[in-house]
Amino acid sequence: MASLGDLERAVMERLWAAEEPVAATTLRDELAGDGTRAIALTTVHTVLTRLESKGFVRHDDARPRRFAARASREEHAAELMHEVLGQSADRQAVLARFIGSATAGEAAMLRALLADSTPTDTD
Amino acid sequence: MLPLTAVCLGVLAALLAWPVPAALARARWTRQDPLAALVCWQAVGLAGGLSIIGALLVHGLSPWGHSLPVAWWRWVTHWFSGAQPAEQAVRGDHWVAQTLAAVLALELLGVLVLSLVRTARTRARHRELLELLVGPATDVDARVLDSPVPAAFCIPGARPLLVLSSGMVEELDADQLAAVVAHERAHLRERHHLLLLPFVAWRAALPVLPAADRAHDAVRDLVEMRADDVALRALTGPTPRRTLAQAIVAAAEGGAPHGALAVNGGPLAQRVTRLLDPPAPLPRWARPAALTSAVALLLVPTALLLAPAVF
Repeated sequence: MASLGDLERAVMERLWAAEEPVAATTLRDELAGDGTRAIALTTVHTVLTRLESKGFVRHDDARPRRFAARASREEHAAELMHEVLGQSADRQAVLARFIGSATAGEAAMLRALLADSTPTDTD
Repeated sequence: MLPLTAVCLGVLAALLAWPVPAALARARWTRQDPLAALVCWQAVGLAGGLSIIGALLVHGLSPWGHSLPVAWWRWVTHWFSGAQPAEQAVRGDHWVAQTLAAVLALELLGVLVLSLVRTARTRARHRELLELLVGPATDVDARVLDSPVPAAFCIPGARPLLVLSSGMVEELDADQLAAVVAHERAHLRERHHLLLLPFVAWRAALPVLPAADRAHDAVRDLVEMRADDVALRALTGPTPRRTLAQAIVAAAEGGAPHGALAVNGGPLAQRVTRLLDPPAPLPRWARPAALTSAVALLLVPTALLLAPAVF
């Protein structure tokens, strides 16, 4: 049985790919279609509820309820990168970034430093 | 009682609030041994808080006894029994000192806890997003986030996540990517976020203290240098120093916003210079000396607080 995390990813992939809101039964059928084992409808509902509480999914009031992604994959990625590249000191503590932000001038100066040094390594 | 103890703690607190952090931030040796320097910074932070709160407490409780533990015990019990009045007259300044000590202790601890909670919450949110968005990388042991901006970061925790943006993967060759990953792994393995956290919190708690700013920046830069040092040991290529420096430069170029002002120096230039032109190693005695100083710095206020009265 796939883990909840894997199922969440699979469900989000479906919702991101779908043109319009999808019913839970449709999701179950689609997920069963590409796996080897069937998935219970309650499991699909559990996954959808978790995704809703995390703010990734919303549902409409139709009967049966149909589910859609709140934002596209690209929007989520952009939101995350915006946070990652943010300037605030708190972010530095949340994420250890490989380099802090650099200005264009600083980047040019770093390039010059690299060019000036001899390419032979001493260690 | 203890007027001399309170004065000593006060002097120590003043030294640790400005001259000592200023000197440590300016010192050159810290670049040669970032690990020892980080230990010294932790000691400065702890000893500073201990001595300022201790000085206020010792003065505030002085009417109750000849040593802080005794005075503290009598102060606590006098609220309940009323049978053990203070040995000397309690003046207004004693109450003021007590109140200040309590406020300062609560603020420093409160901000630390608050920033722990807030950090944990933000990390959890990032992790939720990342677990849906990232896929495994092909060559290196990391996850890849689809984004053109070169970036590499890790989310510390029980299940750490190491993430490269697809822009970073395209910008760097395999050796350079391995260098980036080794650098981030060093952060995770040595729990650098925990070394940085108190300084982030205390900068927020004490915005009037310029030393808090300097301390934070110095510690932030030192953990990067330390991670570079650890990463170098894990790299196998013929020119690991140059590879890591190239990775830093490439990432900086890719992520730099256009039209921004030029900056001379800065922490990135320090890191690159240090990699390309490594400073001579410190003499053998330097690290033990730095560590001994750090321990002594912690022992002095502790001893002053626990020792019996000095007249």
